[in-house]
Amino acid sequence: MFLQRFLHNPIGMIGVAVIALNIFIAAFAPVLATYNPLTIDVAHQSEAPSDQHWFGTDEFGRDIYSRVIYGSRISLYISLLSVAVATLLGVAIGASSGYYGGWLDNIVMRIMDAVMSFPAILLAIGILAVLGPNLSNVVLALGLVYTPRFARIVRGSVLSLKEKEFVEASRAIGNGDAYIIFRHILPNCTAPLIVQATASLAYAILAESMLSFLGLGAPPPAPSWGNILSDARNFMMDNAMMTVFPGLAITLAVLGFNLVGDALRDVLDPRLK
Amino acid sequence: MLKYILKRLIYLIPTLILVAALVFLLIHMIPGDPAAVILGPDATAEDVASVREALGLDRPLYEQFVVWLGNLVQGDFGVSIHSKRPVIDSIGERFPVTLCLTTLALIFALIIALPSGVLAAVHHNTNKDYLFMIGTILGVSIPGFWLGLMALLVFSVQLGWFPSTGFVAMWEEFWEGLRYMILPAITLGLFMAAVVARMVRSSMLEVLRLEYVTHARAKGLSEWKVVTKHALKNAFAPTLTTIGIQYGMLLGGAVVTETVFSLPGLGKYLVVSIYMRDYPVVQGCILFIALVYVLINMIVDLLYGYFDPRVQYS
Repeated sequence: MFLQRFLHNPIGMIGVAVIALNIFIAAFAPVLATYNPLTIDVAHQSEAPSDQHWFGTDEFGRDIYSRVIYGSRISLYISLLSVAVATLLGVAIGASSGYYGGWLDNIVMRIMDAVMSFPAILLAIGILAVLGPNLSNVVLALGLVYTPRFARIVRGSVLSLKEKEFVEASRAIGNGDAYIIFRHILPNCTAPLIVQATASLAYAILAESMLSFLGLGAPPPAPSWGNILSDARNFMMDNAMMTVFPGLAITLAVLGFNLVGDALRDVLDPRLK
Repeated sequence: MLKYILKRLIYLIPTLILVAALVFLLIHMIPGDPAAVILGPDATAEDVASVREALGLDRPLYEQFVVWLGNLVQGDFGVSIHSKRPVIDSIGERFPVTLCLTTLALIFALIIALPSGVLAAVHHNTNKDYLFMIGTILGVSIPGFWLGLMALLVFSVQLGWFPSTGFVAMWEEFWEGLRYMILPAITLGLFMAAVVARMVRSSMLEVLRLEYVTHARAKGLSEWKVVTKHALKNAFAPTLTTIGIQYGMLLGGAVVTETVFSLPGLGKYLVVSIYMRDYPVVQGCILFIALVYVLINMIVDLLYGYFDPRVQYS
C-alpha cells in the first residue's frame, strides 16, 4: 500500500533515478573515469575543458572529470555510513530511554538536547578539529551529531506505544523487554525513521562537502567534491570551470535524496501536501 | 510574563552546563597528550609541561571542569595559545561580523520566504505552486558555499559589481560595508529561505482551510486582508520555530561562508584556529556560537506566544 503509493509518486521516482545514477557512477567509477584521479601531469596544468579533459584539469594537471566521478564514492560512503551510525545509535538510545523511562531517560535526553543545542555542522567541525581529518572521523562526527534526531523520534514512538494494549498483552504472556521493543515497538516507528534517514542523507552529503572544503574531511589527494572545490577556490581566476562541476555533482546528489524525502513525506503524511 | 522568562532562564541552566561540558570534553578527545599535540613534534619536555599546567591538564578531570566552568561564568573563555590574548576579546572583535552576516542572511531569507510561501499556498496546486516547489527543493539542495564561489566568480571577478577581497565593516561605513556583505548573505540565506518558504506554505495551507478564514471572507474582506491580516499571523507561529532552528544553519554555515568570502568573522577565526591547533580558541568559539543559538531559540519561544496567544505563560 505504502510502497505502491510511493512508486506512483513522480517526484519520488525522479529522486530514485538520481540516487541510482549516483550509485552507478560510484560503483563503476574505474570504468567511467578517463584518467587516474591521482595522476599528476605537469604538462597539462589548469587547463580548460577539452576533448581530452572533459571538465579540464587542476593545478597539478589531474583530470577533474575523473576526480568528480571518484568523488561520488567518498560522498556516498560518508553519507551512508554516518546516517547508519546515527540511526543505530539513535534507535538504541531512544528505545531504551523511552522504554525504561525514569532517571535514565532524563539524563540521556538532556544530553541529546545539549547535542542539539549546537548547530550541527559546528559540532562536527569541533569533533574533527580534535580527532583530526580522515574518513572514519568524519563518519563518527556526523553520526554523533545526527544521533539525537533519531533518538527523539524513536523515544516519542516508544512513549506512545508502550502503554498500548497490544504491548501490555505481549508483556502479560511473558515476553521480555527486548522482544517487545524489537517485535512490537520498533516496527511501528520505521516510517518516520525512513523519512528522517533520507533527509539526513541529503544533509550528510552537504555537510561532508563543507567539511572537506574546510580541510576537515577526506584528506588530500583523495578526490572529494569538497576538497576539489577548496583547490578550485585558490585557482579560481585562472580556471573558473574547475569550480562548476564538483558543485553540480553535490547539488545532484543532494537533490536525489531530497526528492525521495519529499515524496516519502507526502506518501506518509498526505496532510502536508 | 516576567516570571515565565525567569523560569525559562532557570530551565536553561542545566542545558547550558551540559553544552559547556560537551565543549570541555572536546579537548579531552584529542588522542594522546593534548599539550604535546598543541605544541607539535618539535616541542621540548619543559614546554609541554608548561602548557599542561597552563591549561590545567595536570589536575583531575572534574576539578578542571569546575575551574573552567567557574571561569566561564565570569566571562573568562581562556587564553589563546597563539596570540596569548583572552579568547573572549577576540570573540568580541569578530562576532559583530558574524552577527551582521547572519542577520542579513535572515532578512534576505524572510524577504524571499514569506511572500513566495504565501503566494504558493494561495495558488495551491497551480503552475505557480509547482514552480515554487521546484525552486525550494533546489534551494535546499544547492550547497551555499559553492553558490558563494560561483557568485564571487561572476559578480565580483567577471562583472566587478562587488569587491572580491578586503573588508569594510557595516558599522563604520554602512553602504560600502553592505557591498561586502550582499553576496555572502544571499548565498548563506538561500537554504534558510527555501526551508522557511516551505514551512510558510504548508502552515498557510492549513490555516486557509480553517473556518475563521471562511468567515473573514464571508464578511466581505478583500482576499489580501484575509491572507495578510488573518491567515498569515496564525501561520507565522510554526514558521517562527522553524526560523529559530534554522538560525543554527546560518551560524554553522557562516563558518564556511566566511571562509569563502574571507570575512573576518568568528567562523573564519575558528577555522584558522583549528589549523593552528589553538584549542582554547576552538573551544571558546564553538561554545560562544552554541550559546548564541540557545539564546536565540529561547527568544523565539517567547515570541511564539505573540503569534499564538493560546500559548500560556505559566
